[in-house]
Amino acid sequence: MDVIKDILTFLADNVFGQVPILIGLITLAGLLLQRKRFEDVFAGALRATIGVVILFIGIEVFTGGLTSFQTVLASAMGTTPPKADNTLADFLADQGGTIALVITVAFLAHVLVVRLFPAARYLYLTGHLMFWISTVTVASLVTIAPGADQLTLVLCGAGFVAAYWTLQPLWMRPLMRRVMPDDRFGFAHTSSLACLITGYAARPLGSRDKHDTEKLKLPRQLSFFKDVNVSTALIITVIMLVGVAFADHGVVTKAAAEMDDKLSPWVWAVLVGLRFAGGIAILLFGVRMFLGEIVPAFKGFSDRVIPGTRPALDAPTVFPVAPTAVMVGFVSSTVVFLVCLGVFAGAGWFTLAPPMIMLFFVGGAAALFGNVVAGWRGAVLGGVVTGLTLAVGQAVTWGLYERTAPELATLADPDWYAIGWLLKAADPVVGGNSVWLVPAVAVGAMITTLLLLGRAEKRRAADEEEAAPESAAPAEA
Amino acid sequence: MALDRQLEILAVCGVGMGSSLMLKMTAEDALRSLGVDARVENTDVSTARGMSPDVVIGQGMHTGEIADLAPVVITISDFLDKEGLEAQLRERLTEQGWLS
Repeated sequence: MDVIKDILTFLADNVFGQVPILIGLITLAGLLLQRKRFEDVFAGALRATIGVVILFIGIEVFTGGLTSFQTVLASAMGTTPPKADNTLADFLADQGGTIALVITVAFLAHVLVVRLFPAARYLYLTGHLMFWISTVTVASLVTIAPGADQLTLVLCGAGFVAAYWTLQPLWMRPLMRRVMPDDRFGFAHTSSLACLITGYAARPLGSRDKHDTEKLKLPRQLSFFKDVNVSTALIITVIMLVGVAFADHGVVTKAAAEMDDKLSPWVWAVLVGLRFAGGIAILLFGVRMFLGEIVPAFKGFSDRVIPGTRPALDAPTVFPVAPTAVMVGFVSSTVVFLVCLGVFAGAGWFTLAPPMIMLFFVGGAAALFGNVVAGWRGAVLGGVVTGLTLAVGQAVTWGLYERTAPELATLADPDWYAIGWLLKAADPVVGGNSVWLVPAVAVGAMITTLLLLGRAEKRRAADEEEAAPESAAPAEA
Repeated sequence: MALDRQLEILAVCGVGMGSSLMLKMTAEDALRSLGVDARVENTDVSTARGMSPDVVIGQGMHTGEIADLAPVVITISDFLDKEGLEAQLRERLTEQGWLS
């Protein structure tokens, strides 16, 4: 018996606890299942593994930049920088294996649900968000149930995440049908709640016919902005320089000396801005490298099990519909966020860090849906909703992940905040021991929704058959 | 095959993770139908600037920025439109003499 226990302990510590190795093995299995050639399988699994290693290095660089940023800004405003007992890097080292297993189990469950329920209709394929949503969910579950073992976390997390992947494209469907009338693919992005709020709140503001953003002409000088590496470096550097101008001299000199003791605090500020952007670029490079292998492997698998399903895809797949709206959303969300940063810092609440990537994708997506409903005013509203959500979200959510991975609050999209707070709100009801209620309720809600939707669709199909052939226009869901 | 080596193709998007990966899979399907031996990679616009592929594929928002990166730059507006991309590839690769 001891031998079995030893083997299991070894596997838990060295395989399921080590994300690069676990992801490598999952990719290997995925590629083998697709009967890829030997060199593709071997190189693919290795690339996925290296990708995860790079992701971890990127997080370390990014976290270092974030700490300097928060220290300087807090000193300039006379507040205390946000404190945390743990970092994202520690959390991933600790729970990374759990997260990788949540992604895998949740994906299999999601494929099964889409196979069983015609109303589920979309297969969630936005890979990097599959990773991050699983991370947020595991961090939230660890907060609710600190003593839970890995198996409990994996199954509870996977149940909840599978329900989210199934439902999120569905609640975006009515809005998506206005953007993509042919319904060939759904919208799978964690900006969904900001988009949804914008889509409904924009209704009284006007109409797309009269105020379409695509009739506007934006100045060409704004175009460098949409390269998120450039805009991140630029905005963080400018804020750092302003921060250094107002910060306590001792604090800044000490921080600069940690990098290099001959360094001018001003040059240090520029370097921190650049390193921050560099860290995010490395992080993204790593994510891209492992996703490049694992997503096609997942897709190959689901194509075999459920041929012809509609995929739900990342936000930029709809951006070609209204690129000007996307820029309007990015610029307005950034402006609103920077105003919030000033107000929050002035009031001594919390030092925000501008998340340029999220401002671009969430702001852009929300503005795009705002534009379909109400033209440019809707697009601006999308930017405002995004800027406010991300600013308030960061300020209030940092503390939620204090003991797990507080950087999740600075890297977050609106849905991440919603999931974090939803699970937090469940805490007093559910408590540590009955963490199983979380997936039970989520899966229950999902199945109920799918059954109701399925019945409604059947009824509509029957009605249409009666009214056919003249009324071909499908009703909004 | 009029080209004696593997064609290097780059799919780009803003951050190089989600939609360019979808585009890469669509492009791979289209290239398979055309019978072209090609390696498709996906990346973000910043990284793309340092690369020298034969073909770049992306949405107009990005291909405008990197229009002279490769001999062939293809702008798409639909990430899943395999037939449309296949037609564009056929035309442009034939133009270059890479496809006969």
